Amino acid sequence: MPAPSTVTVDDMVGLFQRILETDGVGPDSDFFDQGGDSLLATRVLSAVARQYDVELTFIQLIDAASPAALTKLIKNFPG
Amino acid sequence: MRIVVVGAGLAGLTAATDLAADGAEVTVLEARNRVGGRTRGVEVAPGQWADGGAAYLGHRHTELGSLIRRLGLATVATTMTGRSRFSFGDGPQSTDGRFPPLNATALGDLFDRLYELTAAVRPDAPWLTPDAARLDRQTAAGWLDGTGVHDDARRFFPLFLGEMMAADPADVSVLHMAFYLRSGGGIRYLNAFAGGAQAARVYGGAHQLCDLLAAKLGDRVRLAEPVRWIDQDGTGVSVRTDRAYHQADAVVVAVPPVLADAIEFDPVRPARRATAATGRGCAIKVQLVYPAPLWRDHGLSGWSVSADGPLQSTVDDSPPGGAGVLTGFVTGRQARTFARLDDKSRRAAVRAQIQRLFPGLPAPGRLVITDWLSEPYSRGCYAALFGPGDWLALGPRLTVPHGRVHWAGTETSTEFFGLMEGAIRSGHRAAQQVAAA
Ligand SMILES: Cc1cc2nc3c(=O)[nH]c(=O)nc-3n(C[C@H](O)[C@H](O)[C@H](O)COP(=O)(O)OP(=O)(O)OC[C@H]3O[C@@H](n4cnc5c(N)ncnc54)[C@H](O)[C@@H]3O)c2cc1C
Repeated sequence: MPAPSTVTVDDMVGLFQRILETDGVGPDSDFFDQGGDSLLATRVLSAVARQYDVELTFIQLIDAASPAALTKLIKNFPG
Repeated sequence: MRIVVVGAGLAGLTAATDLAADGAEVTVLEARNRVGGRTRGVEVAPGQWADGGAAYLGHRHTELGSLIRRLGLATVATTMTGRSRFSFGDGPQSTDGRFPPLNATALGDLFDRLYELTAAVRPDAPWLTPDAARLDRQTAAGWLDGTGVHDDARRFFPLFLGEMMAADPADVSVLHMAFYLRSGGGIRYLNAFAGGAQAARVYGGAHQLCDLLAAKLGDRVRLAEPVRWIDQDGTGVSVRTDRAYHQADAVVVAVPPVLADAIEFDPVRPARRATAATGRGCAIKVQLVYPAPLWRDHGLSGWSVSADGPLQSTVDDSPPGGAGVLTGFVTGRQARTFARLDDKSRRAAVRAQIQRLFPGLPAPGRLVITDWLSEPYSRGCYAALFGPGDWLALGPRLTVPHGRVHWAGTETSTEFFGLMEGAIRSGHRAAQQVAAA
C-alpha cells in the first residue's frame, strides 16, 4: 500500500473522474459541484482508505472537496 | 380487430389506448372497482392528494413524462432541504443532508461492490449476464454475508434494499438485485431525489394518469370484472370473467406475474409467469398529515431513516402550499410484521416512532395507511421480487406471446422494471406486438 505521503493531485483527479464518470475534473474542481453526492462521496472515502490506509470522515471530505485539497489532507494525515 | 386487455393499471391502459388509436375494438377488463392498480390517490385534505401507491419520477422516465404532458398534468419537485433524522438504535440524531451517521468508508465499500455487480449485469437480458447461473442462485443476503463488509454496511444494506425495491435481502437473487438497480438507471440515479428517480411527483397524484386514460377510453373499461379463464383456438380467444364472456382476436394480460398465473388457460397453459421463489415485494405506505409542513420550521427536510421501524424512512410529500404530508415507508421484513398487527396497534406504533423521531412536532392530525400486502389484486409492491432461479427460468419468456395472448406489466419490462415507466413501456411494446401479429 502506498504511503499517504506519496499521493498526488493527479491520483485524486483520476479517482474523482472514475467515480463521477466524467473527465471534466481539474485539481480545484469541487466534488459536489461536479455532480458528487453523499453516496458517491462514500466511494471516494472507501477508495482512499483502501489505497492509502487513511480513514477520513464525510465531514472532512466536504471541507476538502477538491482533488488538491484532498491530496493535502491525505499527505498530512493524521494531521 | 377485437382486443381484450386484462388489467387497468398503467400497462393495460397504455396498451388499450395505443390499440384503440390504431382502430382496434378494445375492451379493458379490470378486477377492482377502480382503475390504477398500484397507483392510488389518498385525499389528505379536501382537494389535496398524496400517493398511496407509486409517486416518484425522474427525467429519464421519458414515456411517463410524455404521458403526463399529453394528459395535461403537471409535476412538483420533491423537496429535500434541511437536516435529516436518523435512528440506528442509539437514539435519533440529525445530520446535514441525507448522509446517515454510519461509517462512511464502510458504506463506500458496500457501494463499490454493488457498482461492480450492476456494471456486470446485462440489462436487456439479465439471464445472459456472465456467471448468471451463480448470481441467480444466490440471495442478496447470502451475497452480503460473503462480502465480509463492516457491520455498519450490514446494518445499512436491508434499509437500502427496502427503500430501492421493497425487498428483504433474503427474498431476491443477487442477479435480480443487480438487474433492478441497473434497469432503473443505476444505483446513484435510483437513489437520488434531485436529478434522480425521486426528482418529482405528479401534481395532484399519480392516480390521475390512469383516471384520465380510462376516461378517454370511456365505456370500453369495465370495472369489477376479474378475468378467470382464457380459452383460445385457431379462430379466436374467449375471456371469461365473473360476469360475462368476451370474444376477441387477441388478449393483452397486463397483471403482475403471480396474478397472471392465477388465471386458467385452455387448452394449453402458458409457461409459468412466477415460481415458488417469486416474492411479492412488501410495501406499506403511511401518510402522516399535519396542518402544514411544520418540520421545515425546525430546519428539517422530513427525510428520515430508521433501523428500528416500523417506518424505515419518511419523506416530505406535502402538496405545494397545502397540508404537511410526511410519507412513511414500511418495507421488507418490517412490512410483514406490521401487516400482522391490527389497525389500532399499527397506528400506535407509528405515532410512538414519529414522536421519538420528530419530538418537536405535534402529533399528526391524520394517519392514512395503504397496505399493499393485503390487496388480492396487487400481490407485489413495488413489484414482484425475482428470487433464486427466477431470472433463468422466467426471463427468456417474459415477453413471448402464448398464442393469441400477449403479456404486459412492469415486470415484463427490462427497462425501468418495477416502476411506472416500465409499466408504460411494456404497454406500448405489447400493443405493437399485437398489431404486428
Ligand atoms: C407503495 C408503492 C410505491 C411505489 N412507488 C413507485 C414510485 O415511486 N415510482 C414508480 O415509478 N413506481 C412505483 N411503484 C411501482 C408502480 O406502482 C408499478 O410499477 C406500476 O404501477 C405497475 O403498473 P402495471 O400496470 O404493470 O400493474 P398494476 O398497476 O398492478 O395493474 C394491474 C391491474 O390488473 C388488475 N388485475 C389483476 N388481476 C386481474 C384479473 N384476473 N382480471 C382483471 N384485472 C386484474 C389489478 O387490479 C390492476 O388494476 C410503487 C408501488 C407501490 C405499491
